[in-house]
Amino acid sequence: MRMIVKAGFPGLVAAFCFGTGFGATAVDFAREVLPVLSDKCYACHGPDTQNEKDLRLDSFGEATRDLGGYRAIDPDNPAESEVIARIYDKDDPMPPEDADKQLTESERELIRTWVMSGGQYAEHWSFVKPQKPAPDLDTTRDVNAIDAFVSHRLAEKGAGFAPRAEKSVLARRASLVLTGLPPEPSLVDEFIHDDSSGAYGKLVDRLIADPKFGEHQARYWLDAVRYGDTHGLHLDNRRGIYPYRDWVVRSINDNLPVDTSIEWQLAGDLLPDPGREQLLATGFVRMNPTTSEGGAIPEEFQAKNNFDRTETFGTVFLGMTLNCARCHNHKYDPISQKEYYKLLAFFNSTAEHSMDGNSYTYGPTVRVPENQMAWNRWDRLETRRDRVLGNIFSDQQPDWESVKEYAGQQKLPEFSDWMISSSVPVSVADTESIEWKELKGFPGRRGEVLPDQGEAVWVSFKANTDRSQTLWVEFSTGVDSRVLVDGREIRHTAPHLVDHRATVLPLVIEPGTSRIQVQMTGNGLQTNLELRFIDPWKELAEAGDWNKLDADSRMLLAADSTGPLWKYGEVISAVELATDIQTNKANFTTSLIAKERDTPRETRVLQRGEYNLPMGDPLEPDVLQVMGGLPADAPRNRLGLARWLTSPEHPLVTRVLVNQLWLRVFGEGLVRTPEDFGRQGQQPTHPKLLDWLAVEFQDSGWDLKHMLKLMVMSRTFQQDSERRTDIMDPENRLWSRGPSYRLDAEVLRDTALWASGALDWHMGGEGIKPYQPGGMWLAMAHPASNTKQYIRDKNWRLYRRSLYVYWKRTSPHPMMTLFDAPSRESSCIRRSRTNTPLQSLGLLNETQRVELGRVFAERVMREGRSDQDRMDMMFRLLTSRTPNEREREVCNNLLESMRSRYEGDADAAHQLVAVGDFPRPAGLNPVEQAAWTQLVLTVMASDLSILLY
Amino acid sequence: MTPVRERELMMTRRQLFGRTALGLGTLAMADVMSPWMTSASEDAIVRGGIHHAPKAKRVIYLFMSGGPSHHDLWDYKPKMQDMFGQQLPDHIRSGQRITGMTANQKNGLPVAPSKYKFTHHENNDRGVWVSELLPHTATVVKDLCVIHTAFTEAINHDPAITYIQTGSQVPGRPSLGSWLSYGLGSPNKNLPGYVVMHANSRHAEQSLFARLWGTGFMPSEHQGILLRSQGDPVLYLSNPPGVSSRDRRRQLDALASLNQEMHRQFADPEILSRIRQHEMAYRMQTSVPELMDLSTEGDETFELYGEEARQPGSFAACCLNARRLAERGVRNIQIFHRGWDAHGNLPREHEDQCQDIDQGCAALIKDLKRRGMLDETLVVWGGEFGRTAYCQGGLTRENYGRDHHPRCFTVWMAGGGVKPGITYGRTDDYGYNITDADGNTLDPQPTKEHWTPGTMHIHDLNATILHLMGIDHRKLTYRYQGRDFRLTDIHGHVIHDILA
Repeated sequence: MRMIVKAGFPGLVAAFCFGTGFGATAVDFAREVLPVLSDKCYACHGPDTQNEKDLRLDSFGEATRDLGGYRAIDPDNPAESEVIARIYDKDDPMPPEDADKQLTESERELIRTWVMSGGQYAEHWSFVKPQKPAPDLDTTRDVNAIDAFVSHRLAEKGAGFAPRAEKSVLARRASLVLTGLPPEPSLVDEFIHDDSSGAYGKLVDRLIADPKFGEHQARYWLDAVRYGDTHGLHLDNRRGIYPYRDWVVRSINDNLPVDTSIEWQLAGDLLPDPGREQLLATGFVRMNPTTSEGGAIPEEFQAKNNFDRTETFGTVFLGMTLNCARCHNHKYDPISQKEYYKLLAFFNSTAEHSMDGNSYTYGPTVRVPENQMAWNRWDRLETRRDRVLGNIFSDQQPDWESVKEYAGQQKLPEFSDWMISSSVPVSVADTESIEWKELKGFPGRRGEVLPDQGEAVWVSFKANTDRSQTLWVEFSTGVDSRVLVDGREIRHTAPHLVDHRATVLPLVIEPGTSRIQVQMTGNGLQTNLELRFIDPWKELAEAGDWNKLDADSRMLLAADSTGPLWKYGEVISAVELATDIQTNKANFTTSLIAKERDTPRETRVLQRGEYNLPMGDPLEPDVLQVMGGLPADAPRNRLGLARWLTSPEHPLVTRVLVNQLWLRVFGEGLVRTPEDFGRQGQQPTHPKLLDWLAVEFQDSGWDLKHMLKLMVMSRTFQQDSERRTDIMDPENRLWSRGPSYRLDAEVLRDTALWASGALDWHMGGEGIKPYQPGGMWLAMAHPASNTKQYIRDKNWRLYRRSLYVYWKRTSPHPMMTLFDAPSRESSCIRRSRTNTPLQSLGLLNETQRVELGRVFAERVMREGRSDQDRMDMMFRLLTSRTPNEREREVCNNLLESMRSRYEGDADAAHQLVAVGDFPRPAGLNPVEQAAWTQLVLTVMASDLSILLY
Repeated sequence: MTPVRERELMMTRRQLFGRTALGLGTLAMADVMSPWMTSASEDAIVRGGIHHAPKAKRVIYLFMSGGPSHHDLWDYKPKMQDMFGQQLPDHIRSGQRITGMTANQKNGLPVAPSKYKFTHHENNDRGVWVSELLPHTATVVKDLCVIHTAFTEAINHDPAITYIQTGSQVPGRPSLGSWLSYGLGSPNKNLPGYVVMHANSRHAEQSLFARLWGTGFMPSEHQGILLRSQGDPVLYLSNPPGVSSRDRRRQLDALASLNQEMHRQFADPEILSRIRQHEMAYRMQTSVPELMDLSTEGDETFELYGEEARQPGSFAACCLNARRLAERGVRNIQIFHRGWDAHGNLPREHEDQCQDIDQGCAALIKDLKRRGMLDETLVVWGGEFGRTAYCQGGLTRENYGRDHHPRCFTVWMAGGGVKPGITYGRTDDYGYNITDADGNTLDPQPTKEHWTPGTMHIHDLNATILHLMGIDHRKLTYRYQGRDFRLTDIHGHVIHDILA
């Protein structure tokens, strides 16, 4: 018989129940009995029981109901309870003999004890709002509150914390956990030589402030929301939603409070006057895989898309599986089928069609900056624009009537004689010598492929006007380009952007006919020939009011040196600013967002989850009552749903989210089933700690950086990760040692990029395509799919962080899936960590790894003077320390044997050091480089590099 | 390693056993330890089976992606000839939903009889009709169990193929192959236990998805390994240029020393396990090329499989590989052949398709049989659904197309505990609905909820495959999100009528 002994069980406040008066014998219902009932009885006697007369065990009221002379639990005469009779009945036992799940002897005894003590029920722990217990902090032992809970349990087992990890180990561990990369050796040195008590905190602060932090932390969220760059079903075509990924990175680096983040992601479009970022964040709602398969029935996929959204919402925020309730009342948790459909109703009225049309811009979409640099630039441009526009009429107002009259009279010139040149080198500026042919359909857009690789085409046309005027021309081009007016080159300051796709320039033309010639060239992102004109005066004439124009158009008008507003304001810089703004906007890309339909769709319960079997009355959107009702003032839409989630009354959300954070940091969750906090899930290893963290998260203002800092600062995190012999804790449920696990696919690739010095730091933008064995997409793809050909990138895009690797959901990059990355077709909260021979092959043979091995070799040869120097450097980069004697000996032996091997076969050495595109400096000794390459590849494949410890 | 550490490791393992109830400890071990190397029960690995003695040691699944036409291959419907071009009677369709491609077709739903000649072949029962498109397969019908009444609910490719391979129309669940890997591990120490091949087709019209051999929420080590006909047969198998096998040996020795040093410091048993994985990778660098090297095959092999079997990536070559894999103890082999989605020009496309597969299928059966392996090898042939009795697009006697048909389609099984030379189930005169043994249309039509004799829902097919492999489909579970998931969801019925 189990007893609750004073404070010995760190059970939950609400989880206690007491016996009916005969003293101290009691079992903990929520912690001990409920999991057994749920797992072994509720499938037949739980919330989904069909017949009213059937025996039910999911509440006290039901269990004590008179069933015609007997009760499942008889509180007046517990020994007569049917439950006890049946679980011990040899002839007609419960569970029945053929049931898959049988009670163990100790479980029978547990149930008997519980029933005999009155059979009191208590709510499952996770449905009860967490309270913040006071930590019993002992500062001689603990660093922060986390440690108080952990050391308390350890002390019960007669043990304490493991020794602190070596400083170098700790620096590496913290850096990998926070930024997904090892620490810079200089940072490690500084930390090791800083004896002050705040040294570690300083290190952690620097890591958290690093933009790499957001890139790494974002990845976990992208797994959870199933982010991908393709639609995911059937053709699995390209989908434009990567700006959402970049927004997640930014929001984390900016430490946007998580409650705000949730609100924007679920319902940014429903906020008053939402900005670009609020709209962009709703990409969360659009992340479900979609199809446009010929013959598919739209209503069926409307239902399927909704199921996916509702169930992913449950997994990510509630740590609950809702799937069961799609077809029937939940077997284990108190969620009815009707409630499921009420929750689904929040998502059922978004504006997009249920079929994606195989379209990149599967609307609605928002236009946003194309990468992180562009976002930063755009923020600055907006600030400057608003300042200029704010000041422009501060001294003197123009005569608006005459400005409007001017606007009404303005018109674009007449255009004629459109021509296009043959492809010529970009250096050719003498357009006389070029061959021309007629170009139809312009101004406009055509599917012509723009040349790249140093080639360009020219587009030529005539503009005929009767006045001096400014012509704003927007044209596609992958790089900087030239424009000639009557043979005279227009000097311009249009920015050259990373991921450049288009340029906007103001051309001042005089009365008469001008010949205008525009040089255009493509790149991997821009292949279309396009040219159009921007006509802000027409916009003003149509709007009729300066204040109704958007700020960017106003900026253009103010910057028109031939117009009536030119004399006001900061006119000189205005031209440049207006041009910058337009060019930046021309480079914006689209991202899928959520919008609400004008008329909501009706939602009904679907019988057995079949789209064509609706039943009952239309349902109002509503939340799951077991977790508390919708806040009184919350609207019945996604915004209200977000408010419910982030209300301090919600029992689950913060628990679920801090558990996800703990999982990132420690490699396992406090709740080891992070996707299930329901009755079938595991109990937290340290319930009070989980609750303390959950409430602390709210108290901190949903501060993600604060929570992660707390965790990595804890004494618990700082422990050595060596397996201990003084305490039995193989699964680290007591947190008696530091974390250790194999690093994720992305971290393995990024570490090699970073250590070799090849890493390209550009953040954000369209997914990148590194090396991939030939034919992998083609072998599986639909012939009509626009992702059937994998065209790998070139140049710097090959060396960007793995967060940016293009994610085709039906065939993700093999080096990702080989190391357990999910397909992103469905939500993943915890990746598996497998250990297979194919991983060995990937680590040692994959093209990029071999390439980075030889680049890394080149780096150590360049920067280190002796073998010892070079070996130290390699180890300091990969392990944050120098090698020990044994390691040095092993490495020296390998190096020596490789040297003599390649000395005897220079051809082989040449072949090895030629792998990959990365430029190789002339004059490097190939034999020496090949030998070092082999050593580097070996150490990078060893557990020294691929484990966190 | 100190004795204390040793003991701790043992505890780790014991804990793993102890954590799972109901004798499923073996599964937990297969899950945690590498399945290719070890699973808890040596016996299960060698013998197969975990719930009862298996009939089959391995399965070779020939998957015809796109939905082959049962009308033109297996399900002979002579009465349709008289109905040429007439509308499908309403009572036959009886309001069943059809895809958006033919639901509003201008010419309605005209009956399209097969243009192909069927011949009656003797088997061990009442005989079986086979189309002239499958002359080679027709020679092995005494070994086949031809099932005419497979059915599904899904009517589009992506959901249907995901359904038959993972038990769910929505992505996210483990595939049939990964369930087998999870349940049974692998007896071969040098090759993966679950191998997938993509065979070439001239009409590769529908897509395949990694999820069809993926693991969903299960650990990814159970996923199917692609045996490719282009580049390395197994991804990243070859050493980089300038690296010899001897170089690799030296690297791995150094690697093992470094990892042992790590283990000395941290005592993490995973580190030791990884040393073994590196060694197996090294062995695979020999065993896979040896597997792919057909020079040891005599001329008679290529007489049997056809000269095409010399072309890497051909269906015949995949079948030959399948036999070679089977010989080496690989438990779970799948060949995907695309191009069966004949909405239009069915005759031209299906003729090419059948030419691709026919000889290979027959050769595989004969080859396994003469080597005494057919008894212990289950061979399955089929697609994700069938095709309609009515025409899609223009209809002539010589040319027609057919839309997707989920209500009945033909699958055949052979060897590994299946009754040879029988047919199972019957469809109506239009190959549209399932009937009882007397030819009366079942009313209501069967559903996944209730098994009706003479029918085989795709869950029943999967349940039967698992059964033959020694697994009770109701007991092979994996807990995710608090639910004990099964391949067959809450359905599935072992079809005992076809078991030997």
